[in-house]
Amino acid sequence: MRVLHLSWEFPPRIIGGIASHVFDLSRALTRRGNEVHVITCNFPGARPYENVDGVNVYRVESYAAGDSFLGWALRMQKNIERSGCDLINFINGVDLIHAHDWLSGIAGIGLKHLYRRPLVSTMHSTERGRRIGIHDDLQASIDEIESWLCQESWRIITCSYYMRDHVSTVFRVPQDRICVVQNGVDVNKFNFNLNYWEFRNRFAHGSEKILLFVGRLVPEKGLDVLIEALPIVLSSGVDAKIVAVGEGPQREEYQQMADRYGLSHKTLFLGHVDDWTLRALYRVADITIVPSKFEPFGIVALEAMAAHCPLIVSAVGGLNEIVDHENTGIKVSVNDHDALARGIIRIIRDAGFRDWIVRNAFQKCMWNYNWNNIAEWTSGVYETVLHEYYRGSWKPIF
Amino acid sequence: MRVLILTPEFPPKRLGNISDHVSTLAHELVKRKHEVEVVVLDDWRPGFEDVQGVHVHRVANPIKTHPMASVLTYAITASLSMESEAADIIYFYKSMQKNIDVVHCHEWLTVYPAINIKHAFGIPFVLTFHSVEAHRSHASFGPLSIAIKEVEDMGIWESAQVITNTEWLTNEVLRYYGGGHKRKVNVVWPVAKDWVDSVVSVYQKIVEAS
Repeated sequence: MRVLHLSWEFPPRIIGGIASHVFDLSRALTRRGNEVHVITCNFPGARPYENVDGVNVYRVESYAAGDSFLGWALRMQKNIERSGCDLINFINGVDLIHAHDWLSGIAGIGLKHLYRRPLVSTMHSTERGRRIGIHDDLQASIDEIESWLCQESWRIITCSYYMRDHVSTVFRVPQDRICVVQNGVDVNKFNFNLNYWEFRNRFAHGSEKILLFVGRLVPEKGLDVLIEALPIVLSSGVDAKIVAVGEGPQREEYQQMADRYGLSHKTLFLGHVDDWTLRALYRVADITIVPSKFEPFGIVALEAMAAHCPLIVSAVGGLNEIVDHENTGIKVSVNDHDALARGIIRIIRDAGFRDWIVRNAFQKCMWNYNWNNIAEWTSGVYETVLHEYYRGSWKPIF
Repeated sequence: MRVLILTPEFPPKRLGNISDHVSTLAHELVKRKHEVEVVVLDDWRPGFEDVQGVHVHRVANPIKTHPMASVLTYAITASLSMESEAADIIYFYKSMQKNIDVVHCHEWLTVYPAINIKHAFGIPFVLTFHSVEAHRSHASFGPLSIAIKEVEDMGIWESAQVITNTEWLTNEVLRYYGGGHKRKVNVVWPVAKDWVDSVVSVYQKIVEAS
């Protein structure tokens, strides 16, 4: 099957989570014998055409600046669409077009009609979800584009059942047009030689348990809940330290909050770290904590599971589906710092329980979140769509 | 000849003079036994109408909110509706083993669909300038105007022929977008007696060349 993926980011251009998703998915689809073409934005130092493990990647001109983010995004997509036309003519047609989010959806809708080929789109997130509501004209416009994309898509793929319900409610899409294919994680990336103590000592004393937080420092990621739980943990006699990876507008606020508790020596804000350091941190951390208040999927949870790190998450969005309580991790209510503290103490005090959840979580990773399986399920969606397409009358020549 | 006209306005929608200009052109072409399909942006009257032989396809832009009333985001999202309608027309003719010979677009607002139809189906297009961004906008070095100028520039590069109303506008277009385009810029004075014949001769130039 020949598939054209449209994405506004692809490594080395990494802005959000879509880049690595498309990178892994397109490679896994190629391994299954599909011919995958990806059109994406250009990036300083990246070549206009590249073959990445069999995936054909084309980078097209995206403007350095625009009149506004929306104006930029739309003009960039018109360039993707135009190059898409040339590419499809050059390779004599594609079977199917797959767009990722509204940032490539406009190009997808255009190509769909110009070539009369089915469009599949993945809704990674929604504007309403990201900002918890629609507050201004820019957001309203993006929301309308997302709604349009959902209407035009033959099938919509979401990464969790939570997002399926969200998309179906917000954009009034019937649920039978939405398929859930979860995100994946490559467990082999966490399997490397690491000088454990030398690396760990950079972040904490040997006696301190590392509580790892990974995420942007924005309100919906909920680092404040973890900081509030820390004094309870410490007062129970467990020595622990928060290591927070990520950057964001709330950093100052969280640092002041730790100061107020007198815990600035027990919190470490690392900002952005490179890929390798992050993966090593998962391995040396004693618990990974995801106290989010909104989360479409929660890739951090998967990475912790793949690195054999026990996991505590808040029961929200996609996290709710990744973790089975007391089986592959611990789930606590949103904003409940007492429960979070009890969970931390329990995992640290009960080594048998810790081993049990880590082992189960890793097994779940190997099966549910394996890119080869995900590529198989995605191909299943493609096959369903093409089956319906060939039986229908909407075709280039009828 | 089979002509597909892309225009931002067509009667009864009137924002400026383009509406009546295109309407006259379309009707005169039909009188001369050409087949004319018009795709026009009209948010209030979407649908198909046969206006005395002129096939008018009015399309709406599903995106209603545009931050800071940006005409650029309006034009780009609307161009998608025009494109899909135009593609449907082209596929309709293809199903009868017929082809559209030439696309005629008016102003930068319809440049994007014309370019993509050219790339997808290989149908060349004529671009008519009724004005240029540098004249319309009094603060024409803002980011929005620069973006629109880029669209006009791209339109000239991609078009097979360009039509302007006057010698003066021709000179202005060449001054802004480069004298190298001179050989493909045609002046059609739209109050001359046989101006529609001049437009047809521009179409014929393209058909002969392709």
